[in-house]
Amino acid sequence: MSAALANMRKWPWPVLSPVIVFVLVGIFAPLIMRYDPGAQDYEATLEGMSWAHWLGTDYLGRDVFSRIVGGARISLVAMSIVLVAALAIGVTIGSFAGYVGGRVELVLISIIDIALALPSLVIALALIGILGTGYWSMITALTLAWWANYARMSRAVVTAELQQPYIEAARVMGASHLWIFVRHILPHVLALVVVYASADAGALVLAIATLSFLGLGVAPPTPEWGQMLVDGMSYIEEYPRLVILPGLALTLVVVSFNLLGEAFALQKVPRPVKGSALRGRRQARIHEEEERSAVERSGWPA
Amino acid sequence: MTRIVLRRFLLACLLIGAASALTFALVAAAPGNVAALIAERAAGPGADAEMIRRIGEELGLYDPLPVRYGRWLANALAGDLGVSLRTGKPIAEEFAARIPMTAALLTGGGIIALFLSLGLGIAGAVSNGGPTDRLLHAFSLVGASTPNFFVAALLVIVFSVTLGWLPTFGTSGFSSWLLPWATIALFPASVLSRVVRVNLQEAMSRPFATTGFAKGYTRTQVLLREALPNIAIPFLTTFGAQFTLMIIGSIVVETVFALRGVGAFFIEAIRFRDFVGMQSVLLLFIVFFVMTNLLVDIVCLLVDPRIRRAPSA
Amino acid sequence: MAGMTEAQPVYSVEDLVIDLYTPTVSVRAVDGVSFGVRARETLAIVGESGSGKTVSTLGPLGLLPEGVGVDISGTAQADGKNLVGMDSARLSALRGSYFGVIFQDPISALNPMLKVGPQLAEQARRFAGLSRREARKEAVSLLARSGIPDPEDRYHRYPHEMSGGMLQRVMIALALASRPKVLIADEPTTALDATVQAQILDLIRHIQRDNNIAVILITHDIGAVAAVADRVVVLYAGQIAEEGSVLDVLTGPVHPYTRGLLASVPDFRADERAATREIPGLPPNQTTLEPGCRFAERCGFVEPQCRVHRPPLATIAATGVPHRVACPVVVRREGIAVNA
Repeated sequence: MSAALANMRKWPWPVLSPVIVFVLVGIFAPLIMRYDPGAQDYEATLEGMSWAHWLGTDYLGRDVFSRIVGGARISLVAMSIVLVAALAIGVTIGSFAGYVGGRVELVLISIIDIALALPSLVIALALIGILGTGYWSMITALTLAWWANYARMSRAVVTAELQQPYIEAARVMGASHLWIFVRHILPHVLALVVVYASADAGALVLAIATLSFLGLGVAPPTPEWGQMLVDGMSYIEEYPRLVILPGLALTLVVVSFNLLGEAFALQKVPRPVKGSALRGRRQARIHEEEERSAVERSGWPA
Repeated sequence: MTRIVLRRFLLACLLIGAASALTFALVAAAPGNVAALIAERAAGPGADAEMIRRIGEELGLYDPLPVRYGRWLANALAGDLGVSLRTGKPIAEEFAARIPMTAALLTGGGIIALFLSLGLGIAGAVSNGGPTDRLLHAFSLVGASTPNFFVAALLVIVFSVTLGWLPTFGTSGFSSWLLPWATIALFPASVLSRVVRVNLQEAMSRPFATTGFAKGYTRTQVLLREALPNIAIPFLTTFGAQFTLMIIGSIVVETVFALRGVGAFFIEAIRFRDFVGMQSVLLLFIVFFVMTNLLVDIVCLLVDPRIRRAPSA
Repeated sequence: MAGMTEAQPVYSVEDLVIDLYTPTVSVRAVDGVSFGVRARETLAIVGESGSGKTVSTLGPLGLLPEGVGVDISGTAQADGKNLVGMDSARLSALRGSYFGVIFQDPISALNPMLKVGPQLAEQARRFAGLSRREARKEAVSLLARSGIPDPEDRYHRYPHEMSGGMLQRVMIALALASRPKVLIADEPTTALDATVQAQILDLIRHIQRDNNIAVILITHDIGAVAAVADRVVVLYAGQIAEEGSVLDVLTGPVHPYTRGLLASVPDFRADERAATREIPGLPPNQTTLEPGCRFAERCGFVEPQCRVHRPPLATIAATGVPHRVACPVVVRREGIAVNA
C-alpha cells in the first residue's frame, strides 16, 4: 500500500484529474452553487444562458448550473455509500468463503451465483419494487444488487493465494489466520477489487441516474442528473438544453471513471512507430529498465 | 459432448429453480400487501382487516412459503402466471402481446450490435494505431459511457426534432424501430467492438500470425483469415453477456419510446406494487438470462475445435 | 556439397543493416551482414540469442513480430528484385511464392482454429496455380512426402490432434506448398525431442535434394550444422565473425568466438571428463554502439587496436568455398595466409 503511495508520480494523472474534479465539485457543491437548487422563480422560467444564470433555468425557474452542481454531490454521495457498502459486504463474504473453504464455501458460492443470475440493475429494480421508492430504498437496493461481483472476485483471489507456498510457510511460523489474511492475502484482494471498483463507480453513477430517470430513485426536488433529464424530456423540442446538460455531465463522469479503470488495468504495449518521424531519434539511448526490454518483450527471437 | 451439454442444461434448470425461488421468496415476503391490494380493489379503500385476512386465506397466502412457491411454479409451468394486481388481467395474456415486442427490440438491437462491433473492431485492427483506430477507441469509450436514456434523447433531438426523419414514439412501421434499435445497440456495440479490437491485436501477436505472413498474406489478410477465427470464443462470450444486459436497455428504451414490451410492464409493476406481475417478469428474466448463457456456452463448445475433437494422437 | 558450381545465388543479402526501435530505445540488431545461398545448397546461420541470426534472415522478408519499429538498409536480392524498400503488398506476394518458412515451435506456429490440410491446398492454389481439386491432391501428396502417415486422414485434422514432430512435418509441407525456391528453417528442431530432431533434419535434406531448393538453416545447434549444412556463417552481436564451408569452419575455426563456440559443445564421446569450456562474459548490450570489435570484452586474443577499429572480413586461403574471418589478430599471430 505504501509502495502505491510512494509511486505517486507514476499515477495516471491525466485520467485521474476529471475524477478528482468530480469529487471536489461534489464535496464543495454548496460553495460552488450560486443558487439553492430547489429555489423556484416563476418569473424566470426556461431562460437561456446569461450572467445571472450561467446555464439558464428550467421550467420552474430553478438555476440549471446549481442543479448540475448539486446533482454531482448527490451522485457522488450515493455512489460512494453504495460502493463502500457493497465492497465491504462483498469482500467480507467472498474472502470468508475462499478462506474457510469446504461446504461453507460451496453454499456461499451458490448464493453468489444465484445473486449473479440477473443483471445488477434488474435485481435493484426488483428490490425497489419490494421496499418501495425513495433515497434509502434505492441505496439499499443497489447495495444488495452490487455486492455479489466483489464477493466472487474476492473468493477467487483468496482461493488462488491460499495455494501459494508462502502461506504455508507463514502458518508454520505460527501466524494466526487473521494475521495471514490481513497481512498477506487482503492486499491482493484489494488490488484487484480497486481496479474493478474504479470503473464500477461509473456504472453505479449510471445506475443511480437510470433509476432516477425511471422515477424510482432520487425523488424531486432533489437535483439528480437522471431525474433532471426525465423532467427535461417534456421540453425536448424547444429546450433541448435541459436534457443535454445533465446528459453531458453524466457521460463525462462515466467516461472519466472508465478511463481510470482502463488506465489501472492496462499494460503498456509498444506501439508500432511509423518510420520517418523517428529517424532523428535513432541514437542509442538507454531509458528506463522497462523500456529497454520492450524490444525483447515483443518477442524477438534474435 | 452431448454429456457436457446435458449437464449444463440440468445446471441451468437448477439455477432457474433456485433463482426463481429466491425472487419468489423476496417478493412474497409480505402476503398482507397482496391481500390488501386485492381487498382495496374489490371494496375500495377502507377494507377492514377481517376482509384482508379472509382474502389472504382464500388465496392461500398464509400457507408456508415452499408450498406457495411450488404452487406458483407448477402454475407457471402450465402457463398460468396469475393475475396482475394492477390491470386485473391474466399475466399470460399480457405477456403474449408484450414478449414479441421486447423480442423484436432485442433481436434488432442484437443484430446491429453484432455487425457493427465486428465491422468497427476489424477496422480498428486494420488501422492499427492509426487515426481510424484511435477514433474508434474514443467512440467505443463514449458509447459505453453514455446513459442509454441520454442516447435516446439525443437521437430524438437529432433525428426527430431537428431533421424530422423519424417518428418519436410508438410503433408505426419499420422506421419507428430505428431509434429504439440504435439506442439499445449502442452500449453493447461499443463494448464488443473493443473486445474485437483488443483480441484481434492479441491474436496478431501470436506465432501463428507470423506463419500467416510467411504464407504470403498481407496484414489485412492475416487479420481476417488467421486472427479473426481465434476471437470467436471471447467474442461470443461477451456477446452473450451483453445480450443479457440488454434487458436493462429494453426497460429504459421501452419506457422512453412508449413501446408496450415486457420491460415497460416491469416498471409499471414496480410503480404500482404489482407483486404478481413482478414475480412473473422476474421469472421470465431469469429464464432468459440463464438460457442465453447456456446457449452461448454450448455454441462456444461447438466452435472450439479443441473441444469438439478431443486429441486422439 | 555435390556439384559446386559458380551458380548465381538464389537469395543474397548485402551490407544488411537492421535497426529495431521503440520511441525511446534503438538497437542495431544487424550490422553489415552479407550472405548468399544457391540452389541445392544449405547455408547455416549460427549464433547465440541476440546475434541477429533470425533478424537478418526474416527481417528483409517482413516477418518480424509486430510492435517494434524496423529500419532496414542494404539489399536483399530474390528473383531479381530487392526486398529492401519494397512495398508490403509486393513483398507479401514475393514472400509467399519464393520463400517457405519453418518456425521454431510448430505447436504454436499453426493456427489452432484451422484445419491443417486446407491451408496447404490454399497455398498450392494461390502460388502453384493449381485448381481446387488439384490443390487438394497436392496437399495430401505433400503431407505424404513429408513423412506423415495416413495423409488423407490427417488432411482434416486440427493442430492439437497431432504431436510436435508431426506438426513440424506439417509446417515443412506447408512451406513447400507454394513451391518456393528458398526454404528458411528457423530453429526447426529446438522444440522437438532428440530422436525427432534427427528425422526432421533428414527430411529437410531429402526435400532439398528432391526439389532443388536452397535452404537457410538458422540454429545454435552445431550438431545440426555438421549434419546438414554445406556452408556456415557465424554471427556475433549482429556482425559476421566467420564464414566458410562447414568442413573448413568446423575443423579449422579461426575467429576466437567460433573457437570458443565449438569448444563449448560438450563432447559426449570424450574419454576424459573434460570440463565444458565456456566463453567468459556476456554478449554486449547492443543499445550502445561502441567502436571496435564486439567480441573484444570476452576475447582471449584481444589487442588495443581491437577496441578501436572494427575488424574487417578477410578472405583466408581455402579450397573452393571462400573462408572469411573478421579477426586480423589471430590471422596475423598464426601466420594464416590472406587472399587479396
